[in-house]
Amino acid sequence: MKSEQDLDAIKSTRERGSLNEPLALVSLQSVSLGYDSAPVLQDVNLAIYPGELVGLAGPNGSGKTTLFRTILGLLLPLGGTLSRGCPLANFGYVPQSAALDPQFPLSAAEIVEMGAYGRVRSFEVFPKKEKQLAGEVLDQVGLRHLMKKSFFALSGGQKQRILIARALMVKPKIMILDEPLSGVDEATRHSITDFLIKLTREKNLAVFFSSHDLEMVQRVADKIVRVDKGRVWLEEGKRRLQS
Amino acid sequence: MSAFFEILSPSYLLFPALLGTAIMGLVCPLIGSYLVLRRTVFLGLTLPQIAAAGVSFTFWLQQSGFLPEWGQGERSIGMVGSLVFTFLGMGLLGYLEQRGKGLAEGRLAAAYALAGGLTILFIVFNPAGQIEVLNLLKGEVIALSQGELRLLAVVFGAVLAAILAFHREFLLISFDRDLAFLLKGRQVIWDVLLYLLAGLIIAFGVILAGPLLIFGFLVLPALAARPLVSRMSSFLILSSVLGLVMAVFGFYSSVRLDLPLGPTDVTLGCCVIFLAYGLRRVTAKASAALLILVGLALLPSSCGSRTAAAPVPEAKAIHAEQLWLAKVKNGTDSSLLLPATNPLRSLAEMAGKISSDYRQSVMDLLRDSLKTELVQKGFRTSLPEETDARFPALSSDSSSAVRIAREGKLSGAVFVSEIWRWESESQKFVRVVADFKIVRIDDGAVLWERHVQRAVPTPSATNVGQASTDAVREIVRDLFAG
Repeated sequence: MKSEQDLDAIKSTRERGSLNEPLALVSLQSVSLGYDSAPVLQDVNLAIYPGELVGLAGPNGSGKTTLFRTILGLLLPLGGTLSRGCPLANFGYVPQSAALDPQFPLSAAEIVEMGAYGRVRSFEVFPKKEKQLAGEVLDQVGLRHLMKKSFFALSGGQKQRILIARALMVKPKIMILDEPLSGVDEATRHSITDFLIKLTREKNLAVFFSSHDLEMVQRVADKIVRVDKGRVWLEEGKRRLQS
Repeated sequence: MSAFFEILSPSYLLFPALLGTAIMGLVCPLIGSYLVLRRTVFLGLTLPQIAAAGVSFTFWLQQSGFLPEWGQGERSIGMVGSLVFTFLGMGLLGYLEQRGKGLAEGRLAAAYALAGGLTILFIVFNPAGQIEVLNLLKGEVIALSQGELRLLAVVFGAVLAAILAFHREFLLISFDRDLAFLLKGRQVIWDVLLYLLAGLIIAFGVILAGPLLIFGFLVLPALAARPLVSRMSSFLILSSVLGLVMAVFGFYSSVRLDLPLGPTDVTLGCCVIFLAYGLRRVTAKASAALLILVGLALLPSSCGSRTAAAPVPEAKAIHAEQLWLAKVKNGTDSSLLLPATNPLRSLAEMAGKISSDYRQSVMDLLRDSLKTELVQKGFRTSLPEETDARFPALSSDSSSAVRIAREGKLSGAVFVSEIWRWESESQKFVRVVADFKIVRIDDGAVLWERHVQRAVPTPSATNVGQASTDAVREIVRDLFAG
């Protein structure tokens, strides 16, 4: 029996007309989204494909997080068609680190290992191969040496990279990052954006990230989704224009 | 040290109670850790109070004739009330949470106040007497029977197994609900299961140990462990270990110092929290180890300064074959008369129709038992009133006892006993403080003495009078057996 997501994916493929074209990992057609029947954003049209780096730019409170939450299935769309080209378990989500409760005593390694929880059954001891994978993704973000440190004792940039490692632990096809560059210094911003570009180029991952810094998004992204005052429009990023 | 290891021996009379407390101390903090991390500590306070309201409600219903008598199963019917009220309370709080009206803390505070008020009202309504119900509500774990211990082990064992099996799900749903949804789907079941487990240990724990002790075990070890660890696995293990240390140390202090267990454990738990925050500056591992070591070091030394109690010696060993067994002195404010077994007699006594003078008292029972045992030890035991009918009960003050004995022209040695406290609030145990001495009359030398201060469990007693009889037997057995 096909899951709802699989059917969505097939539907999305048919809509694109040809099975040879790359499958959109996320497709929104005339979608309205918001809370309690009150739309925050209307008539959103967007498709994200593997290997794309898509930036979501807009001021604070413009609906960036609402759009992410709708794509992730945490909010139901108020109207329109939303389809996904892979199961939700293949979405690597990086929340804002400030949204996580520092009351929890969690090491960096424990945070990263959470990404594998979807694959490990309840009564099972945490498998060795998953531990190895956690080490590998920590290597990728350059923080293996901090794996035993308390997550909430790390700097803002280190926390973001640990959360990116957690999202990679999911073995994602698409990564969604909510304000990954807020509260980090300029050097860390560059290292994070370089890493995101690397993920799209080397692993063919789709990356969709948000920021209120339009200039930075324009410099980094292939495609830019602009949101402001309930309106949504698409722009080409400078990187794509240059290429 | 021997005084501490004595309570760890399976042959120790209160061992089932200690084991029950230890099980609760081990398991409750595991659930409490999630309550603390989810910032729902108030739930750990409110649910036990709701359970207590359920206990007093069912007792009231039973005493009013709305529920059938369950023989000796007072706790069983209380357990039913505790379970029903706990889960109803959780359901109602969950429903209100879903509706999202008002503050969560406000709802919990109102529920706590309501449950506390209802608990007292149901006790006041209860025609069976408030003290009996209050004792059951206090959850005297000291009176834990073997059957109750088995039930406790099964329920808490199942809860422990569930926590171990589903700890990843509980962590995920508590820490990051969005990730939990992406990886596992919209699984409300983990929230429900966590609260179900909390409800189970609270409902069973409240009737067996009382709301205060259960709240203490749920929350205090987790609060103490939190500043000392930076890993979730360490947090759960340390909370549980601290809960166990708190349970054993609290139990030991309670028995040795004759203090109620709940308040003793809670006070101890708060001290551990202060200590933990003081140790924050030391490295986490070192401070956790230090905390446990301090607890273990204090355990035998703090209250165990008393030397091991010696039994009454053989007559030859102290060269005092002639022993005068004085009347037992009652140092309490109560008459310590045993209740009459015939209810019509009691009514007549209350109405002043007949005198209660000739009724047996605890002192009479104690003296009779002492005499039998002393004879078996080889003492030529006599009663001072056989020489002079006016001979009074002697106090445990040896100089005063010797003076009176000399005035009564007695020679040899005198056995004096004085009861300072004898409280049999329920038939499950009797709290006793008493002194016993053998004093040589010639020179006033104390040949043997024993201070008894303990709660004596009387699990097979069916009424308060029987409890006193059983307690006398147990104390005398203890005096002569060592």
